[in-house]
Amino acid sequence: MLFKKSRLAEVLDATAQAMDVYVPAIVEGTSCFAPYGEDAGVTEPNFELQNTKIPPKGLLFPSTEKLYTWGKGPEGAFIESALDKPAPFVAFGVRPCDVAAIERMDQVFLTKGYIDEFYQAKREALTCVALACNRASDACFCTSMGQSPNEAPEADLLLVEGEDAFEIHPQTEKGQALADLWKPFLEEGSVDHKPVECSTQVNMEGVAQKLHGMFDSPLWDEVSTACLTCGSCTFICPTCHCFDLSQARKKEENARFRCWDSCMFKDYTLMAGNHNPREQKRNRVRQRFMHKLCFFEERYGEPLCVGCGRCLVDCPATMDITAIIDKVNAWEEKEASHV
Amino acid sequence: MDFTEQVRKRASQLIEEGTVACVIGWSAGRLKYQRTPTCADTPEQASNLVCDQHCEHALGKYVLEQKDKGRVGLVARGCESRAINRLIADRQINREDVYLIGIPCTGCTTRDGVELKRCHECQFRNPVIYDELLGEPAPEPKNDRFADVRKLEAMSREERRAFFDLMYETCIRCHACRQACPCCTCKVCFAEQEREGWQGKQFDVEQARYYGVTRSFHVADRCIECGECERVCPMGLPLMTLMHKQIKDIDELFGPYEGGGLSDEGPDALRTFKTDDIEEFM
Repeated sequence: MLFKKSRLAEVLDATAQAMDVYVPAIVEGTSCFAPYGEDAGVTEPNFELQNTKIPPKGLLFPSTEKLYTWGKGPEGAFIESALDKPAPFVAFGVRPCDVAAIERMDQVFLTKGYIDEFYQAKREALTCVALACNRASDACFCTSMGQSPNEAPEADLLLVEGEDAFEIHPQTEKGQALADLWKPFLEEGSVDHKPVECSTQVNMEGVAQKLHGMFDSPLWDEVSTACLTCGSCTFICPTCHCFDLSQARKKEENARFRCWDSCMFKDYTLMAGNHNPREQKRNRVRQRFMHKLCFFEERYGEPLCVGCGRCLVDCPATMDITAIIDKVNAWEEKEASHV
Repeated sequence: MDFTEQVRKRASQLIEEGTVACVIGWSAGRLKYQRTPTCADTPEQASNLVCDQHCEHALGKYVLEQKDKGRVGLVARGCESRAINRLIADRQINREDVYLIGIPCTGCTTRDGVELKRCHECQFRNPVIYDELLGEPAPEPKNDRFADVRKLEAMSREERRAFFDLMYETCIRCHACRQACPCCTCKVCFAEQEREGWQGKQFDVEQARYYGVTRSFHVADRCIECGECERVCPMGLPLMTLMHKQIKDIDELFGPYEGGGLSDEGPDALRTFKTDDIEEFM
């Protein structure tokens, strides 16, 4: 089944009548998944963007999220949960790498015996509409991370872009419900889509095992030299999910919230009594790449990197995770395993 | 601009003869426009250095992390040399801690071949101090750097508010501007003093404004106008507009003033009191 590109606005409008829709768009000089509609000022999704600057992770894991409030009311002291059940919403046009990143966050927030209710509430409300890539930038390397730019198995529905139409593939019940909603605009047929390949490739075979023995390797001095230890890479990364808990106390309301944090920041690991196990830059850089390429792989069986390439493009010091993986691969030859 | 061969040769010699313990420069990456700051400790590593128009990162601040090795060689253009002056004035390093391999810079380009904004606005492309200069001094175009400031000054109060609100709403508080800034050398930044709680951790326009404005005022009369804060900002925020505004004001109120880092001594205008200073705001 497919719908013609000329009917995209009708498809989106019909969807927006039923629920909130978020589409990739350039908003105020940056790009993100923005609310679709006249009110929000976004009337057309921007599919020219290979990836949005800000990944869609904030739809499920906002940069600041209130957990509970407390205070003294007319009936005495109160503590009130801020957990609410969001209305169903659609993320429309999510690239396969970003869909895979949502699957990684699912692992963190929904498996291994602990359910994060705040994440879960939004996750259940989400219908994820993926859009297969029709090109790859020189920073894209998703195929090396076990993904494909041509499919998104975890999405509810996959769109494949042809010259004048989008082919649709419902992959779950939610996806089928959306396809039913779009029925008036659908017609039989398929589109001609040439499978995309990433030109940038790295060899991930055995990297996690190698890294396991490289905790004290001098490699980390070498690769961390350029790092500014800013948080750019972690905040634009679709899979980075570390957060801090803090509070805002105001006259009218006291709120406990969680907010994004970055392992690149010095205060991230600062402990009571001022001990900091990751005082040195090399230790923080090591943590980031170990978590992405080794620790997460050991716990969940897949890397915490989906090859979207955002950090390659936006790192102010041009730190390149693919170059670091190459160095890890080459290191074993230079040096017998450490530790 | 391509000084790759000269830099490789001199860096190798300087390390070999023991003049410096290491040389900070750039190395090439996987993609043809990718350069990354690097520190060469051996002549072999020095033979991989690159110095061309893709070397967009300012290197001055990296000296702080390498100086324990001994005297640090630094590939220095105008921006790096002014950073070194700033670090000396702020008592972070001594002049003899560094050996400056001067580069007569003609500016860097983006990966699409467009001149970097920070290079277009640069007033001192040649290093203002150096131990040796590779080649003849480059021309100094001294392009206008205050166009955005004049636009800001012409705005109504409401428009200005909207300009700054938009900027701070877009800020993701990654702190790249602070990390890259050669004037930001506080051991613990006010934004990190969690126990004091100056800075809230929530991501919103108030907190971003508080961080951004405080930082910019803290470096106002020390800013060397390298524009590195603006270059490193992943959100592309016009951070230099406020810095340039302050530099223009200092010039008009206490000048003549051409920006920070032109020498390694003061006085820095906003921390100096003179009896004939204008007092119209008091």
